[in-house]
Amino acid sequence: MDFVPHDDKTITEMLKVIGINNLEELFQDIPKDLIINSLNLPLGLSEPDVLKNLKELSQKNKVYSNSFLGAGYYFHYIPSLVDFVISRTEFYTSYTPYQAEASQGYLQAIYEYQSVISRLTQMDVANASMYDGSTALAEAAIMATIITRKNSLLLLEGIHPEYSEVVKTYCWGQGINLRIIAENKLKDELNEDIAAVLFQSPNFFGDIEDVSMLAKRVKEKAPNCLLIQCMTDPTCLGVLKPPGETDVDIFVAEGQSFGISPSFGGPGLGIFAAKKKYLRKMPGRLVGKTKEIDGEREGFLLTLQAREQHIRREKASSNICTNQALCSLSALIYIISLGKTGLREIASQNFQKANYVKIKLTEIPGYEILNKKPTYNEFIVKCPDVDALTHECKQLNLLPPLCLSKYFPNLKNIVLVCVTEMNSRESIEKFINAAKNALHNKKEGKK
Amino acid sequence: MEYEFPDDIKYMKTHEWARIEGDMATIGITDYAQHQLGDIVYVELPEIGRTLEKDSNAGEIESVKAVGEILMPLSGEIAEINAIIIESPESINSSPYGTGWMMKIKVSNSSEINELLSVEDYKKIVEEEKK
Amino acid sequence: MDINDSLIFEKGVDRAQKNFIPKMDVKTEKLEDILPKNLLRDVLPIPDVPEVEIVRHYVKLSTINYGVDSGIYPLGSCTMKYNPKINEIVVRLNEFSQIHPLQDESEGSLELLYNISIMLSEITGMDGFTLQPAAGAHGELVGMLIIKKYFETKGIIKDKIIVPDSAHGTNPASAKMAGFSIIELQSNEYGEVSLDHLEFAMQQGDVAGIMLTNPNTLGVFDRQIKDITKIVHKHGGLCYYDGANLNPMLGICRPRDMGFDIVHLNLHKTFSTPHGGGGPGSGPVGVINELISFLPKPYIISTDDSIVCEQNNDKSIGRIKAFWGNFGVILRAYTYILSLGADGLKRVGQIAVLNANYLKCLLQKKYELPYNRRCQHEFVLSDKNLPNDITTEDVAKRILDYGYYSPTIYFPLIVNGAIMIEPTETESKYSLDKFAEAMLKIYDEALNKPELLKSAPHNTPIGRLDAVIAARKPILHD
Repeated sequence: MDFVPHDDKTITEMLKVIGINNLEELFQDIPKDLIINSLNLPLGLSEPDVLKNLKELSQKNKVYSNSFLGAGYYFHYIPSLVDFVISRTEFYTSYTPYQAEASQGYLQAIYEYQSVISRLTQMDVANASMYDGSTALAEAAIMATIITRKNSLLLLEGIHPEYSEVVKTYCWGQGINLRIIAENKLKDELNEDIAAVLFQSPNFFGDIEDVSMLAKRVKEKAPNCLLIQCMTDPTCLGVLKPPGETDVDIFVAEGQSFGISPSFGGPGLGIFAAKKKYLRKMPGRLVGKTKEIDGEREGFLLTLQAREQHIRREKASSNICTNQALCSLSALIYIISLGKTGLREIASQNFQKANYVKIKLTEIPGYEILNKKPTYNEFIVKCPDVDALTHECKQLNLLPPLCLSKYFPNLKNIVLVCVTEMNSRESIEKFINAAKNALHNKKEGKK
Repeated sequence: MEYEFPDDIKYMKTHEWARIEGDMATIGITDYAQHQLGDIVYVELPEIGRTLEKDSNAGEIESVKAVGEILMPLSGEIAEINAIIIESPESINSSPYGTGWMMKIKVSNSSEINELLSVEDYKKIVEEEKK
Repeated sequence: MDINDSLIFEKGVDRAQKNFIPKMDVKTEKLEDILPKNLLRDVLPIPDVPEVEIVRHYVKLSTINYGVDSGIYPLGSCTMKYNPKINEIVVRLNEFSQIHPLQDESEGSLELLYNISIMLSEITGMDGFTLQPAAGAHGELVGMLIIKKYFETKGIIKDKIIVPDSAHGTNPASAKMAGFSIIELQSNEYGEVSLDHLEFAMQQGDVAGIMLTNPNTLGVFDRQIKDITKIVHKHGGLCYYDGANLNPMLGICRPRDMGFDIVHLNLHKTFSTPHGGGGPGSGPVGVINELISFLPKPYIISTDDSIVCEQNNDKSIGRIKAFWGNFGVILRAYTYILSLGADGLKRVGQIAVLNANYLKCLLQKKYELPYNRRCQHEFVLSDKNLPNDITTEDVAKRILDYGYYSPTIYFPLIVNGAIMIEPTETESKYSLDKFAEAMLKIYDEALNKPELLKSAPHNTPIGRLDAVIAARKPILHD
């Protein structure tokens, strides 16, 4: 099928107006030896046949009844209103709102998104979005080197391994030095040459840092050094102290938890917020409120565009153009649908259910919770036999927790367990049974 | 379009001007430059105390639709920044040679003054650009 | 329509809204007993808004917004084609939407990623693809990093990239993010690259490559393209193709055959995935065989038994995004390619160019067309003929009064007051005729009633907005 509306008669009419005889003449400027006959692909399919094809392909994926896997992407309840709003055709088939007067709907929505992120994080200003948490962190790092005019970064251990890799790639591109260090080495490594310290909290292993203390330590030793926090599941902000109250300079997060399906890892949402004094160095689109030139009504438009690539070109600090607008709309609707009550309640359930699982696991000999600090909805557990646990989970149709050896080959037999409000009591009991069975089967040499 | 070209100052081909008074120089952008940029919304200037070489980057000036680099007409130490243009950048549009001055520097190498353009030479450059 | 509706924050009530919270079914300690007080927040300033109010608020906002389902959206360089609804059904299938990126048993998704790389390779003539980049600009960065790594591996220092003056701003910005500096080449009077200037620039010996889009942002096909890529290769450089303008080439011509080594595609342009008001997009990057080892991790290959991903590769530029790429967007593009097939894709190329040339013929009766030659998918008008001091912006604002979205304006920079128009292949003749009629009427208004344009728009929910105050004293949240 195709979506071309013309019939042959219409095409002939149009060719006549142009003054040519056939469609081939349209391509007269292309050297003849570059014109191909046809693509070596199957012919097109109609809707029912396409759907059948895709459904068959999708059946090769397995949807588990419940999940204990997090590690950067999370299963949370997505309110019905999210899909309802982002399916409004005037939103999802529109383009970047350059003509403000015909795009007030979306511009106001983005302004509201910037506002809820500011309110939730207590950071002074948030942009309209970056691609995802990992690239937002990389761009925050580059922004810090531009602001401070320094070329080195410190990354604290505990940042999601894939995020660190992305930061490394971006830094290599611009010749920025970086080192990954343990937190207790911070005092030794921190000096006046460091542009920023990057850390994650809650971190990859689940630990919640005392960010105020960390900020104090950093700023006392190196007052001009920026502190950049990243977060992979910002639903914790329903309960945790927000970065704006802890002297963090730039805050980035993966916003997938705010109303976006996992969808095999994308599209996600890069949340990006910073202190007011860094506003003019922020990458990404910004929507501002203003008045009519010849009137009194207030409206919204894209502002501070002189920061961006279409004006600055090679002098731009970031090349970002298309971002994740529709995903930021999802996040806005999620946050508003839940409201303060819902956000608090969801975050509490995540804490409490994860805590419950921790207690239950500790009751099984051979399982040991390794976190020394408080945790949100993820924690790491030493297991007698990680493969057995994984197997038992799958038997009970549970998506097993992440084996840390995926990212840290020397950390065998440790898993990263994630528990959210979506884990019912039954699923938790099943998980505990799986953990017990893994022990039992290991003892008997079974797999 | 008639632009202002005061004759008591020196110019750069990149549209900065410098008014020399003893060992100090006041720096700004020309009337032609502010017109090209349009309504100015923001200016970024170096910190007081910083020393910069002639022709090096001394900040940026932004309008709604464009951004321009400010270059140092002369080498020197930044002595003063005009607070008015930080608060009200529109002063650069309305009075580029008066209240819209940008910074004052302590000139470190007065021989560089001879390399700057006279008002006549600068006028020629503007004529060329307009074509 | 009263636009001065309140912000959502003013619609909060003093009553907990619990519609979306699952029942708490485990008994455990209170939060205050699990967490130290200094980690907790006091206030959470998000309103509790009743469900009906939320729905009404955002439905209303959607009605004062314009999408491609509302009418023609002739934004040059954006390819605002119809977004097929079957794509939206597919993406919501549970077996695609509920898959965690790190889980096992995701062969369906992996196979899709592998299959689409094969399809995109066929469409572009390239040998291998990464699906990771989240947007075109992200793909450009990947391409530039591949070029950087290529020369680094050979121990050759080449730190410049050539970009024509008609290039999209992301091109030089991306090159700079990869550590390159830019040489800008002036286009000649046909809007094409000057071979002499190119030869001269390449002779300096420090040029790593060129970034081009063909057809370019003027909508014209550079007839010397094979000579251009030859010159760059002769001097040891690589050729990068910005695929933003691939639409007219579908089924007609391939970047590989033009001589390009690296290409990025914009799935949200050429392959019908919705623009979403500014994303999400997807910018896959394809390369020739010699450059495959530099692609970002993970790279997906197929073995006899299954689709696997190749992780350990020293030459890779590294990871440029977490997980696999914007899968939801890629899935829509895959559905589109399956729907169209070889025959449908070729039709896209043909009709995109037919529509653009037809519209160009109608509009050039009154508007100035600086590069008066055959265009491909888009064409650029200038402000030269506009009477009575009317600017391009005035025209753009008046177009809104006729119920259309304005074309791209003031780009490319090499045309004064540029108006860049790309109708795409999904516009009917009727739609094109009506749009042309409006544009020609506006021209007449510019002649006889210029004040209508100067004070436009009149028929939109709000009048022209003050961008200067917005930039001087930004208000970015409530």
